[in-house]
Amino acid sequence: MPGQVKRLLIFVVIICVLFVVSRVLLVPEGFGKYGHYRATAIDTIIALPINYAGHIVCNDCHDDIAETKDASYHQGVNCESCHGPSNDHVQSLEEDEIILPSAPRDRNQCSICHAYSPAKATGFPQIDVVTHNPVKPCISCHDPHAPDPPSVIGGCIACHRGITRTKALSAHSNIECNECHTTQDEHMVNPRAFRPDKPRSRDLCGKCHAKGATSETFTKKVDMTEHGVGYLCWQCHFPHHPEAN
Amino acid sequence: MEGIEQLPEILRLASGYIYPNEAELHWGFLVVIYPYLTGLVAGAFILASLVKVFNVKALLPTYRLSMLTALSFLIVAPLPLLAHLGHPERSLQIFLTPQPKSAMAMFGFVYAWYLMMVLLAEIWLEYRIVLIEKGRTKKGLKKLFYKFVSLWDTDTSKKSIIFDHKAIHFITLVGIPSAFLLHGYVGFIFGAIKANPWWSSVLMPVVFLFSAIVSGIALVLILYTLTSLFKSRPIDMKCLEKLAAFLLYALLVDFSLEMLDFIHRLYESEESIEILGHMITNRLFISLIIVQMLLGTIIPLITLSILHIKKDMPVEFRRLGYLIAAVLIQMGIFSTRWNVVVGGQLFSKSLRGLTIYKVEMLGTEGLFMGILLLVLPLIILYFVAKILPMWQDDPVVDSGTK
Ligand code: HEC
Ligand code: HEC
Ligand code: HEC
Ligand code: HEC
Ligand code: HEC
Ligand code: HEC
Ligand code: HEC
Ligand code: HEC
Repeated sequence: MPGQVKRLLIFVVIICVLFVVSRVLLVPEGFGKYGHYRATAIDTIIALPINYAGHIVCNDCHDDIAETKDASYHQGVNCESCHGPSNDHVQSLEEDEIILPSAPRDRNQCSICHAYSPAKATGFPQIDVVTHNPVKPCISCHDPHAPDPPSVIGGCIACHRGITRTKALSAHSNIECNECHTTQDEHMVNPRAFRPDKPRSRDLCGKCHAKGATSETFTKKVDMTEHGVGYLCWQCHFPHHPEAN
Repeated sequence: MEGIEQLPEILRLASGYIYPNEAELHWGFLVVIYPYLTGLVAGAFILASLVKVFNVKALLPTYRLSMLTALSFLIVAPLPLLAHLGHPERSLQIFLTPQPKSAMAMFGFVYAWYLMMVLLAEIWLEYRIVLIEKGRTKKGLKKLFYKFVSLWDTDTSKKSIIFDHKAIHFITLVGIPSAFLLHGYVGFIFGAIKANPWWSSVLMPVVFLFSAIVSGIALVLILYTLTSLFKSRPIDMKCLEKLAAFLLYALLVDFSLEMLDFIHRLYESEESIEILGHMITNRLFISLIIVQMLLGTIIPLITLSILHIKKDMPVEFRRLGYLIAAVLIQMGIFSTRWNVVVGGQLFSKSLRGLTIYKVEMLGTEGLFMGILLLVLPLIILYFVAKILPMWQDDPVVDSGTK
């Protein structure tokens, strides 16, 4: 065998030996026992703290809630996806001081799942968080454990959704529609034939906003003889969304 | 990769509908550099093999240059990946616990095989006599160094030199498929991602390979011209003409393959075609249409063809023409890599929107890091050339083909 081949071979053999030795030394113990990973990784993972208890445990004590929920639209939603990791709650029940899980009551919690997103599967109940009954907490209308829509939509919102929702956000949110519009019952079933009247006079607004009116003191008052004379109030202010700075 | 803070900014610039996890590109600038570097390696090596296997004597002056270029670029090739992934020490795991089912995890072995069994072996045999000579004449630490790199060999007999030539011939034979493997592998990684219509194509490894050959030849041409200029060595015009001829042929094949891929996609007109068309005309207009197609392919093709046909132009003019064409090609191939890597992540899998990509300046994935990684091989080449003489006429014993 030519000399150079011998030398190269020795070199290659040294590298191979180094490789084999380092494999023996460096490959972690138990590698490949169950699969392409370290068998002891399982122990490492077992040693991690447990955060979630799983929903089956909850049923032992909160069986009433579990029953309602399992019959509702939220049957597929795990308790802890709303109440957060609750293992410490379950563990703490055997001790003196009970740790209570959080019960998220604000609108953001429900929006995680129900806010409108075009990527969501068709048919999943979605709402526009900004316009869907704004400001009020979701749970004031929907029971989180049985979230059926509370009522079939009725009243003026069934047909005048835009105006109703605009008004709901405005300074006039607490004023009923009928305060400004007199509506016959027939309008609700035969709307075009029976139209409610539209306000015609400044006095309507003056009822509450005129100097000396009997409305609450926080309602801002204007001098009806000077303020915007010659115009109807709603030629300058939106009646359903009044603003003034 | 600041991630979430940049999200609103990115989403503002994105157009159409994209999934939230598509806003930010995960394979950035450094992953563009990686296939570019391996391509240069494979290309330079294949050029060298023309001398040894196909006996193209005219290219002999560039044989050593291409081998050393391949080596320097190969040393740097994995660095962008290490910088991109972080935790370089973990890269050794792919050797210690090989996972044969993952193409990506096998990279270490493809790389090691090519570096050790092909490049280093061939270079060692080529320079064996030189190293022995230097080991004899140098003093002190240098002597020890040369003794070590020559593996304490002392045999300079005629017989052993003839054996060297035979062995080199054999290694090059093994080396060609290995070089194909190295770069075809990179194309394979992309081509095998079936969820991505921009990448998923069986042509991908082949296209990568030929663009690799093009870029390798162009690089050697540039380096040959420039080093000759700075060392004021006369340029061997026959060699340069041959290089340019091969560059032209390779570019032609590469161009046809890319056109084939393009027409194939157009004709097939899968549902992705609309968004891809949108991407090409919007996001990739400069890098694909202008730099890759026009500057990087069509103009060099025309220049090289004219110089190929009209042989009676003045030598200086031809040299300049070749140099410019090669530099343009280099830019074009870099754009090709950019368009493949970045382009594949710009469009949404919903096929309804495009995101954007901006290179950072600083940081391990930034522009400066990238530039460093592109310059580093040249610095390495400079030092390697200090140890291993680059030109056929300075070494002690000739090493031409038999
Ligand atoms: C061993 C019985 C037991 C189990 C198991 C248990 N809980 Fe409780 N849970 C209680 C008791 C007792 C209270 C305290 C009731 C009270 O203060 O009125 C409570 C209170 C709560 C509250 C009320 C918090 C509030 O703000 O009022 C929530 C929410 C709750 N548990 C959720 C869970 C969830 C989720 C699970 C399953 C992971 C669970 N519990 C499992 C016994 C249990
Ligand atoms: C969709 C989110 C959601 C899911 C799922 C959910 N909860 Fe609740 N839960 C709430 C909210 C919100 C409140 C607060 C209600 C309130 O203040 O009126 C609450 C209140 C509670 C309370 C204390 C008040 C009460 O009504 O007694 C208990 C106990 C409770 N949940 C247990 C559970 C258990 C057990 C499950 C699983 C079977 C569960 N919850 C599933 C949202 C959820
Ligand atoms: C973890 C995700 C999740 C959260 C959080 C969540 N929901 Fe749901 N919700 C669901 C799923 C799943 C359904 C069932 C959808 C179906 O039947 O297709 C549902 C159904 C509903 C429905 C019934 C809609 C209909 O008519 O079909 C209402 C109302 C509702 N949720 C309200 C709420 C409210 C209020 C909250 C906050 C207390 C809330 N959800 C929190 C996932 C969630
Ligand atoms: C003022 C009461 C009220 C509040 C507050 C409220 N909702 Fe509703 N919600 C309703 C009514 C009434 C309906 C059924 C009619 C409709 O779609 O408007 C409904 C319907 C829904 C539906 C079913 C929509 C569909 O297309 O099937 C979902 C989901 C829902 N609400 C979620 C929420 C969430 C989440 C919040 C809090 C961000 C919330 N709701 C706040 C009254 C309310
Ligand atoms: C069944 C659907 C429906 C319901 C419920 C309903 N409306 Fe209407 N409303 C209509 C339609 C339709 C019109 C006519 C719109 C048009 O012709 O431009 C109308 C018009 C009006 C008008 C304007 C009349 C005009 O001359 O332009 C007022 C004011 C009004 N409704 C108030 C109310 C109020 C207040 C309620 C609740 C007490 C209510 N509506 C409930 C359908 C309805
Ligand atoms: C503060 C008094 C006030 C309240 C409360 C009020 N409106 Fe009005 N509304 C008006 C005035 C004033 C007009 C006339 C605007 C005009 O003629 O341009 C009007 C006009 C309308 C119109 C006709 C719109 C048009 O563009 O012609 C409808 C429909 C209507 N109101 C519905 C409602 C409903 C439904 C509610 C309850 C959710 C309601 N309004 C509450 C003052 C009120
Ligand atoms: C039933 C009483 C009532 C009637 C009728 C009424 N308002 Fe108001 N208005 C209020 C109350 C209460 C507020 C909220 C307190 C405030 O900001 O002054 C308010 C707020 C306003 C504001 C906003 C002031 C601010 O600071 O932003 C304007 C403008 C206004 N109303 C205009 C009108 C006009 C125009 C009409 C007639 C179409 C009208 N109001 C009819 C009770 C009334
Ligand atoms: C010519 C347009 C115009 C008309 C008509 C008009 N307003 Fe105003 N109103 C304004 C402007 C502008 C402001 C805000 C500037 C200010 O505070 O004086 C304002 C402010 C107000 C305020 C808030 C005052 C405060 O102290 O902040 C109330 C309440 C109000 N208007 C009620 C009315 C009522 C009621 C009518 C009908 C009688 C009416 N406006 C008619 C233009 C008008």
